Amino acid sequence: MDRGLILDVQDVRFRYPGATTDALGGVSLELRSGELVALLGPNGSGKTTLVRVALGLHAPLSGRTSILGRTARDWPRRDLARVVGVVAQREDNLFPQRVRDTVRLGRYPHLGPWAVEREEDRAAVERALERCDVTGLADRWLWTLSGGEYQRVRIARALAQQPRLLVLDEPTASLDVRHEMELFQLIRRLVDTEDLGALLVTHDVNLAARFADRIALLCGGTLAAAGPPPAVLRQDVAEAVFGWPLAISSFEDRPQITPLRRDR
Amino acid sequence: MHRWLFFAVVVGACGHQSARAPSAPARRIVSLAPSITELLFALGAGEQVVGRTAYCKYPPAALAVPSVGDGLNPSVEAIVARHPDLVVLYRSPHTDAAARQLEALGVRALVIHHDRLEDIAATARQLGEATGHAAAATALARTMDSALAAPPPPDLGARLAYVVWDNPPIVIGGGSFLDQLTRLAGATNAFHDIATPSATVSLETIAARDPDWIAVVREADDTAPPAYAARPEWRVVRAVREHRFLLLPAELFGQPSARAPEAVAWLRRLLTR
Amino acid sequence: MKWLAMGAVLVAALAAAIVFGPAHVPFTDLARSPIVWELRLPRALLAVLVGGSLGVAGASLQSLVRNPLADPFLLGLSGGAGLGAVLAIALHLGGPWALPLAAFAGALLALGLVFRLGLVGGAELDPRILLLGGVAVGAFTGAVTTAIVSLAEATELRNAYLWLWGGLSSASWATVRLIGLYIPVPIFVLLAAARPLDLLVLGDESARYLGTEVASTKRRVYLAASLLTAAAVAVAGVIGFVGLIVPHVGRGLVGGRHRALLPASFVIGATLLVLADTLARLAVAPRELPVGIVTALLGVPLFVLLLKRWTAA
Repeated sequence: MDRGLILDVQDVRFRYPGATTDALGGVSLELRSGELVALLGPNGSGKTTLVRVALGLHAPLSGRTSILGRTARDWPRRDLARVVGVVAQREDNLFPQRVRDTVRLGRYPHLGPWAVEREEDRAAVERALERCDVTGLADRWLWTLSGGEYQRVRIARALAQQPRLLVLDEPTASLDVRHEMELFQLIRRLVDTEDLGALLVTHDVNLAARFADRIALLCGGTLAAAGPPPAVLRQDVAEAVFGWPLAISSFEDRPQITPLRRDR
Repeated sequence: MHRWLFFAVVVGACGHQSARAPSAPARRIVSLAPSITELLFALGAGEQVVGRTAYCKYPPAALAVPSVGDGLNPSVEAIVARHPDLVVLYRSPHTDAAARQLEALGVRALVIHHDRLEDIAATARQLGEATGHAAAATALARTMDSALAAPPPPDLGARLAYVVWDNPPIVIGGGSFLDQLTRLAGATNAFHDIATPSATVSLETIAARDPDWIAVVREADDTAPPAYAARPEWRVVRAVREHRFLLLPAELFGQPSARAPEAVAWLRRLLTR
Repeated sequence: MKWLAMGAVLVAALAAAIVFGPAHVPFTDLARSPIVWELRLPRALLAVLVGGSLGVAGASLQSLVRNPLADPFLLGLSGGAGLGAVLAIALHLGGPWALPLAAFAGALLALGLVFRLGLVGGAELDPRILLLGGVAVGAFTGAVTTAIVSLAEATELRNAYLWLWGGLSSASWATVRLIGLYIPVPIFVLLAAARPLDLLVLGDESARYLGTEVASTKRRVYLAASLLTAAAVAVAGVIGFVGLIVPHVGRGLVGGRHRALLPASFVIGATLLVLADTLARLAVAPRELPVGIVTALLGVPLFVLLLKRWTAA
């Protein structure tokens, strides 16, 4: 068995109950430790659905998806939460909470219902805070944070789970340039220094091309292309997937796309 | 000053309006309180009663009269369907509105204050005048007045608590005619100091006042002790523990009635037994 | 330190409830007066159990339905309990325990209906449907209750409404024993769900990714919290505001983590109800106020204070 293989999705098909077409029509995706894979694709192309099927929230109609060699649906949620940390797209915390307290929630998969937090849990929390540069915010209320700070805190919570796989669903949506760059650098740094792989769902094609090891480009529930950024972001493929004329240039050996104006 | 004057004028005008004497005695009467129905029959106006409430059960002849439902929250339609020329109502927020509606429909409405024993004579006179039984009313009123004015019998030293509900405990206070009946029978209401007709009290207050009897007003055929007598917390009250319940028939004790002297005698008989 | 203070306030409230009352009991007689032993002490202890249960149920349900304004009685239980009580009176069900048992059965019926409605969307209880279902079931049972009360002849039925307003006058050692044996079970279930509840506050998706079996946790929490409320309403009627206010006070004192919040809500709920009941017995003695009015009078200013702190911060 491939020891570095964390996520293994093979030819999965999935259809939502009551729908007339497949949301995923035979998608394969592999992710290894030390790898940052970006999942790109237009709205409604099946990115979030693929994440849910890959993590066992939905059962595929056919194909299989396994995490660390075990079928995703067979993982008890608590065991899975010890190896996969997810920063979901939306989250609204109902009651006031402090930064450190929300990061502590990342230790829950490692604690039984009655267990008291151990020294290693506290250490993991402090380390996660530090790795994500939010130690200075630890005693702040969540609602006093900026959007970028809040996302870093949520990544710290996922990191406190000590996962082998980090999944981030559009973590940079509605962030400005600086916060976006900080977040991509943080994710890259975590993949390079921690013993984990990361799956990043994003709309930012150019930053994905600059930071990711591989890109999986989804379109209409199937993979249009997958592989290293220069192999995936070719003009014909990208224009077909995004349905818009593009110019492709290269920056630091990575492809960068520029959408063209159609009104000229 | 002006406000008070205004108040007096308005109230005076209202009083004048409702007290205005009709030219002819009423022939079709709807009574909206058990006490009023009983009084009408006692005055000899029973033949003229064409409507009563669902709760009017005395005298037995009243049961032959069609019911118009609830008296405190009356249905004006059901009343009008009896084609009355006089409707007698017991004063409550709902009956005031009903009285106005009836007057608007051209039906004479008599709203009556009838809570205490001394109200009985006044009510009797009012009803007698309105129904053409003034002589009987005057006689009845005289009997009531002299009964109330009679010197009280020797004190029996018995203290009663009228418990009308157990959870929360509700007792009869000094404002009720039952308090008057008790005094006339030579006993004391343990909650005479509470000015209102009834009040919610703590169980420990009942226990601390330690009444000799628990008085329960209920239908005559119901002779079982109240259900709460078996509840552990009520056993702290000595009278409950010792099963000293006075079961009083509702037809006699349920409302201030012309048979008050009979009720007093009944109570005194129970207490001296 | 906080816990010591909370415990001390509860003990002080209990002492006040035992020493003070509308009946005069000399200080030297306190230890042997039946008024203290058979009435005040069981009543104070029942206030502890009922107030604590409402606090715990409120805290759990607010997190479950993700709504800080949720009150345990919002989920339709009070309507069901009222219907049960009125039916018991209307049908002349005998026996000293008929009323609380019928109220409990009515609450269970409402609970089952709301639970079934909540599952309409699938295996996961939908908080919005739970709340709407609770309001609907509450309105429906309330309408049936009112219909029975207004159609039946027995005037005593009107008094059933008084019972619904809530009160602890049915307290006895038997009630305390019964409730004391009953509530540890649902409270244990809720305490065991303390960590999943922390996660549910983040929303279903995050909770799931942090290791919660969301569907079964929600069912467990809903059933346990409702069973607590059903017992409280069966012995003490609908005592409002405790389940709404207490969790917010608890969050202010010990934070939002349910392992601390649930026990704190028990202690604060117990204290609030013991104090409210003591005031209800004393304020207009020898008359007594419905305790629900006192909890509202104490609770609303507290709530306004909390709102001010929230909006100021």
